[in-house]
Amino acid sequence: MISILENLSSKGFCDAIPRRSFLQIGGMAFGAHQIGLADVLRADAKQTHPKSHKSVIQIFLAGGPPHQDLWDLKSEAPSEIRGEFNPIATNVAGIQICEVFPKLAWHMDKCAIIRSVVGCKDRHDAIQCLSGWTKEDMRTIGGRPSLGAAVSRIRGPVNPSVPPFVGLAEKSSHIEWSDSGTPGYLGAAHAPFRPDGPGLENMKLHGVSLERLQNRKHLLVSLDKMRRDIDTSGIMAGMDANNARALEVLTSSKLIDALDLSKEDPKTIARYGDGKPYQFQFDGTATRNDHLLVARRLIEAGVRVVSLSFGRWDSHSKNFDVVRDHGGKLDQALSALIEDLAQRGMLDDVSIVVWGEMGRSPKVNKEAGRDHWSQVSCALLAGGGIRGGQVIGATNRLGEFASERPVHVQEVMATLYHNLGIDVATTTLTDPTGRPQYLVEHEPIRELI
Amino acid sequence: MKAISRTPQGILLWLSWVLATLASSYGTTLGDEPEIWFEPLVETKPIFLLGSDARYQVLVSRKSENSLAEDATHSVIFRTQPEGIIEVSPTGFIKPIANGITKLSAEHRSGNVAERVVEVQNWANDPMVDFANQIVPVFTKYGCNGGGCHGKAAGQNGFKLSLLGFEPHDDYSHLVKESRGRRLSPASPEQSLLLTKATGQTPHGGGARLDPNSHEYRLIRRWIAQGMPRSDAANPQVVSLSLVLNDRRMQPGSQQQLSVQARLSNGMIEDVTRTAQYESNDTEMAETDETGIVRVKNQAGEVAIMARYQGQVAAFRASVPLAGEVSDWPSPTNSVDDAVLKQLRSLNIPISGVCDDPSFIRRVTLDLAGRLPTFEETRLFLSSTNTDKRNQWIEQLLSSNEYSEYFANKWMVILRNRRTNPGQQAGSFAFHQWLQDALAENKPYDQFVRDIVAASGAIDVHPPVAWYRNVTDTFGRTEDIAQLFLGQRLQCARCHHHPFEKWSQEDYYRFSAFFALVRSKDGSTVDDPMIYSDFGLARASHPRTGQGLEPAGLNGPVVSTHEYEDPRESLVDWMTQTDNPYFAKTLVNRYWKHFFGRGLVEPEDDLRSTNPASNPELLSALANHFVESKFDLKELARFICQSRTYQLSSEANGLNVHDRKCFSRFYPKRLSAEVLSDAIDTVTQSATQFEIVPASTRAVSLPDTAFASYFLTVFGRPEASTACECERGSDSSLAQSLQLANSKEMQSKLAGDTARAARMAAQVERASSEQVEELYIVALSRAPNEEEKTAAFQYLESQPDRRIAYEDLTWALLNSKEFLFNH
Repeated sequence: MISILENLSSKGFCDAIPRRSFLQIGGMAFGAHQIGLADVLRADAKQTHPKSHKSVIQIFLAGGPPHQDLWDLKSEAPSEIRGEFNPIATNVAGIQICEVFPKLAWHMDKCAIIRSVVGCKDRHDAIQCLSGWTKEDMRTIGGRPSLGAAVSRIRGPVNPSVPPFVGLAEKSSHIEWSDSGTPGYLGAAHAPFRPDGPGLENMKLHGVSLERLQNRKHLLVSLDKMRRDIDTSGIMAGMDANNARALEVLTSSKLIDALDLSKEDPKTIARYGDGKPYQFQFDGTATRNDHLLVARRLIEAGVRVVSLSFGRWDSHSKNFDVVRDHGGKLDQALSALIEDLAQRGMLDDVSIVVWGEMGRSPKVNKEAGRDHWSQVSCALLAGGGIRGGQVIGATNRLGEFASERPVHVQEVMATLYHNLGIDVATTTLTDPTGRPQYLVEHEPIRELI
Repeated sequence: MKAISRTPQGILLWLSWVLATLASSYGTTLGDEPEIWFEPLVETKPIFLLGSDARYQVLVSRKSENSLAEDATHSVIFRTQPEGIIEVSPTGFIKPIANGITKLSAEHRSGNVAERVVEVQNWANDPMVDFANQIVPVFTKYGCNGGGCHGKAAGQNGFKLSLLGFEPHDDYSHLVKESRGRRLSPASPEQSLLLTKATGQTPHGGGARLDPNSHEYRLIRRWIAQGMPRSDAANPQVVSLSLVLNDRRMQPGSQQQLSVQARLSNGMIEDVTRTAQYESNDTEMAETDETGIVRVKNQAGEVAIMARYQGQVAAFRASVPLAGEVSDWPSPTNSVDDAVLKQLRSLNIPISGVCDDPSFIRRVTLDLAGRLPTFEETRLFLSSTNTDKRNQWIEQLLSSNEYSEYFANKWMVILRNRRTNPGQQAGSFAFHQWLQDALAENKPYDQFVRDIVAASGAIDVHPPVAWYRNVTDTFGRTEDIAQLFLGQRLQCARCHHHPFEKWSQEDYYRFSAFFALVRSKDGSTVDDPMIYSDFGLARASHPRTGQGLEPAGLNGPVVSTHEYEDPRESLVDWMTQTDNPYFAKTLVNRYWKHFFGRGLVEPEDDLRSTNPASNPELLSALANHFVESKFDLKELARFICQSRTYQLSSEANGLNVHDRKCFSRFYPKRLSAEVLSDAIDTVTQSATQFEIVPASTRAVSLPDTAFASYFLTVFGRPEASTACECERGSDSSLAQSLQLANSKEMQSKLAGDTARAARMAAQVERASSEQVEELYIVALSRAPNEEEKTAAFQYLESQPDRRIAYEDLTWALLNSKEFLFNH
């Protein structure tokens, strides 16, 4: 017992004990409890019913970030491949990342870097990163659902007045980069809630005071006498429940509050930064650092999956300027997000994935850019109970292909499902033709779970 | 030993060669039967077990206190005389232990005893294990070849099995030859990777699946020790499954052991009770486990349990009656009622009364015309004393434009009338108009289908060609036509034999051969193609064998077509034959669901043999009527709407409140997105403006699904991306509630200057009682009752602004369940 606490206070993690137990036991310890065996057992029992729900934040680096300028620096390679950046050490001995991520380097023990993502299609859209599938898969019946839609279907909302799946990406002129995740064949009911559409509008009162709305509700209650038990399909009961929720949303508006950063401590906002001035945006999305903060607030309000699109990384020219700008901003916001989640004891429940639709060419072109390279890509995972402080896979000396442990895009997706407590080997969704469909066809990354 | 267990380790594998002839022999009337007997009752020959692998599940039935037959298999004590020939588990599962003849007796605690002779032969002589018949089913039962494990297309960790064991030859090669033969070691069978992995002795991603003490383990070990013999093509194959007991009337809360027999191609019969897999078609009514025990719950109704083994299926039907006697049965109006009443009588479910006139006019107008009855129509109808007024109103609706508009909307969606770019607009509008005209002139359904399936030419000349533009590949066409018009889902069979379906890949490709010659060439524009049938012989290539297959209907004869014929005409000829087993049934089931919210078969376009109708007699009666009327769609709608069943009240009578599929009352259904949008416009006296189309266009008469509308989207309007009606959502959601309760759109409709509320507020000289009544009749087709009047008047008086008060009253009615549902 004592040794567990000692381990914790020395910030070391013994392999024999799952990280989650530490945090929960640790939480009690800081709460000035006397820890006895019963408490530890309770903490163990709690593991299956965590206080904060399992969730995912999907950070899409639209355009395809240069893998060799983020987490897989090739300092041994010739200069036309090596580029401008130097590697820096991180808080995990032996793991080096690019110099534009000095803050993140302090959190590498909580992150896992995958240097050998394969299976990318050379196509500028977010579909693979959000679902693991391509646009063509099952297209004739609506396409495969994204992770958020599938989770919405499988798990439903945590809090009745908060949608389970929220997409923050603002429309960009290359619209595929601001995709929030398609519901595919699951249909509109599982589409991401977008805080810019009529869905949000309907959460604000229009020309009707709250008092009048209450009057209307009272009137409705006195008139709506149809017994809902005559409907055994459950739709009537669902409608009553949703009507009650609607009123709750309009009066309490947990979601609206979560989206409203004026309710956040200005110091916290400053830690995330605002990502301005927006540079290199062109037809992509802006570097909205604030979206990462909103994502955290949404998860706290009960959202299960938040997707967002961060910057435009399609660096056919000025690659190093793009990485310096976007990377620096990402470093600030992402490290703040990881800190916040860790500090709130949520990090083991919230998975963060940061990646783009492909990697970039080893050879720097004459515009100081890097071109498309779908042979290999990279991803950074943090939280969600994964075993951090790891690098999975490797590319060859020039960063051209996965030379060790290729990790398929769907393995990353399967890991996210795993972190959500969804077993991809047994969970199926029923498509409109009645066929059971697995979520993905690969398994979670064994090294991480 | 106890043979029943829920864990895989406890299950025994068995192979029994039972030479008993198992005629379907369940007697439903009880009279001269003994008090207790072995099933089947008429059988007197011994149970014959051949070889040490033989197994047999006996069934014992007894006459219960109320003289009904009930299962006693698990509540009797089994004895054998002499002992030592067979071993019987307490659940009636027999395995041989020596050659000989013995008498098996089953004694009930009432003292009644049933007897049966069992004979064991060839006990010592183990036959060669047959890979396809004995080993592959083990993989299926334990999930090894499932879609989540080694059965998926890519296999699992380098080891692949065919999905659910439909390709035993491939499985043999994968096991025996692949990976340099390291998976099996005949010299030391226990060390075979297959067994060490399956038992978890070697790390296995799927965990330990097989108990080293199980019959299955010994069987696989013996097969390896025998040198892994290939399946001999001459070895018998499973040709059908049968049940010792096919159906039974069961008391709520009771259970029934099943006994499943596979008939082999050599005429032998093998007990597969413990290898077969079971599935209940309604788990709220009955559940089943892997040993074939059916447990019914406390809900009255009918339920089917499907048993499947080696691609064959058999179904057990249980009917669970309500307790008590119902004496008060109404007289039927037509043969719809005959069949419904017959089922309700047998299940003792009391029927609700006939609905009142307001409910009727609202219900039938919504169902036939997709709209609310108007204020005037309702007033006239309610005040009429004509005894035939319901039938007359049905006729009036059937001849209205709204009928054809509404049903064109229904067909347009499943015929996938989409528009993905503006260039397709002329085509999608033309196809919709064609559908509307065909429905208005009541084109016979066989002709309607022919015009679509065998469509050729340009869209502006023959608009159904648009279907071929919307569904572009042969696979899609094959699958859509089978699902739309024949209620058969072929999607699975494209790649593999589906375990619940009878269709093989050959069936699929033969069916697809009808579409093999369909060609498209540019018409006036890219979006306006010409569809034609090429010259040549219609053939489809079998994806595995490469064999060129001639076209054939599903379960139909092979069709020889000539080079100059359009094979699709032959397809329609076969489909529309009056004795086609699927064509009429699929349509009447689809229409039944339209009116009742629930198909006799659910989902409505999935009429596979393993998904039986909740009332097969009714389905046949409807189909016969439809065929006899020469495929008259209006007559079918009329026939249904005139029935007493359709006109039943949705109010439950206490005993039928849980009935979900016997139609003892009308089940409420939510208005569809389009109908609801129009209904709100009607009540508020406002209009929704859609792009492109004229200002007065209603949502139900929109020609395709491309019209942007947040309202229609959140209320589940389908995208028309599949041929499945299931695309239309009817679930409730928070977004819907918010849209109705608090959207700008709703508020502007309620509060507009020309909206009903504003008009009413302006009619200062009109009595509020009249106005409230008008609102009720327009929204709910009925006058308010006293309580509602009081509540409404109170509200009107409490509000200083009359217009606001009427807006609020209208809002409350539009948000009420009575408005949102057709009931």
